[in-house]
Amino acid sequence: MNVQAPPLTHNDYKSDVKPIWCPGCGDYAVLSAVTRALADLGRPREQIAFISGIGCSSRIPAYTNVYGFHGVHGRALAIAAGVKLARPDLTVLAAGGDGDGLSIGGNHFMHACRRNVDMTYIVMDNEVYGMTKGQASPTTAPDWCKSKLTPEGTGIAPVDPCRLALAAGANFIARGFAGNPNEVARFIVEGINHPGFSFIQVLSPCVTYRPEQREWKSIVHPADASPAQIMAEAMHRLAADDGFTTGVLFQGNRAPFQPIGKNVATFADLERKFES
Amino acid sequence: MTEVANFLAHAVALEAEAVERYDELADAMEVHNNMEVADLFRQLAKFSRLHLAEVKETAKGVELPHLKPWEYQWHSAEGPESAPMERTHYRMTPYHCVHLALANERRGHQYYADLAYKAKDAEVKKLAQQFADEEAQHVVMLEKWAATIKEPEADWDVDFDPPTDAD
Repeated sequence: MNVQAPPLTHNDYKSDVKPIWCPGCGDYAVLSAVTRALADLGRPREQIAFISGIGCSSRIPAYTNVYGFHGVHGRALAIAAGVKLARPDLTVLAAGGDGDGLSIGGNHFMHACRRNVDMTYIVMDNEVYGMTKGQASPTTAPDWCKSKLTPEGTGIAPVDPCRLALAAGANFIARGFAGNPNEVARFIVEGINHPGFSFIQVLSPCVTYRPEQREWKSIVHPADASPAQIMAEAMHRLAADDGFTTGVLFQGNRAPFQPIGKNVATFADLERKFES
Repeated sequence: MTEVANFLAHAVALEAEAVERYDELADAMEVHNNMEVADLFRQLAKFSRLHLAEVKETAKGVELPHLKPWEYQWHSAEGPESAPMERTHYRMTPYHCVHLALANERRGHQYYADLAYKAKDAEVKKLAQQFADEEAQHVVMLEKWAATIKEPEADWDVDFDPPTDAD
């Protein structure tokens, strides 16, 4: 008898580990969006790899029920690219925070965008280093002076993650808001389905170190145009953007990275090498 | 898909999302050792589970459409009875918890009352009115509950071992 298993629900993609994020943290919504997106795609759990760096948000793979790798600070994309190139059959997701992805991992981010490996990267952006108790990150406004490390603000222009992704060559760019997890789920589905490197910035409030971000709910606004398909058009729009526009902002058509040449060794070969 | 099926699919999702959020908040409060509020969120999840079972019973025999999460037509970003995550705090008190639940139920009531007013389909109108009346009862119940809880002092969120005291 051929019994078909019922389709997986979003709860099937959640692990039994309870998040230790602060109540009110936007990262809960990202977890909800990821699991809803995966349920919508209906991919078997063993065909998904979720890689992260270090930081509050980088705990997210542990809260999911797919293959996970809580990696090295800023190196999620290097690991994720390696996973995807070794196992192109897998759906590869990477995630982390603004500090992990744009400062410690800034160089990896730039090159992951231009390399265009077929994977999806989610940056949960709260404009602060939360795990180390509230220091300015690359996306922090120059006049934010609540950290004792920068009592007069950083005085440095922040990185706009979407502009950086576009300039570096990302093939799909979206910005979502944690207060709208269902929309973020859609962006994740579209990002996974879009060939090449997909970048999704999620404005994810840190209610502990940036309590004023609770008000983001009244600041975010949807994009008033369909996604740009030409880089120049996307750049033009992003140049005039206030950083709170949500939507799919760019859909490029570059072919994903394919390694040149043939594999010189199989997994079995590698395993034999380790055993010998 | 009939309008009734679409209405009931939304009603099921509304309660299911509320249950999930209360459970999530109960877990979060437990992790942060705010057991009193964790218990309250657990109770609220239990109530929402009962409402979910009732809605499912009403929907029995109706083939509900499978909607993607972003296809639900709420008046706001999430289901009307889902507690807004950003309105919570690890030191929140029972007062805040019950008032949060009250606001959720009021949004739920408003959602159904609007549908009852605007729906063209007679069956949807009837069901929406029935659900609005039930939500109105929940609102009254929570208002009574909220009235029994004293408002905390203004410094309720002061933490003598604060996570924000860092560098």
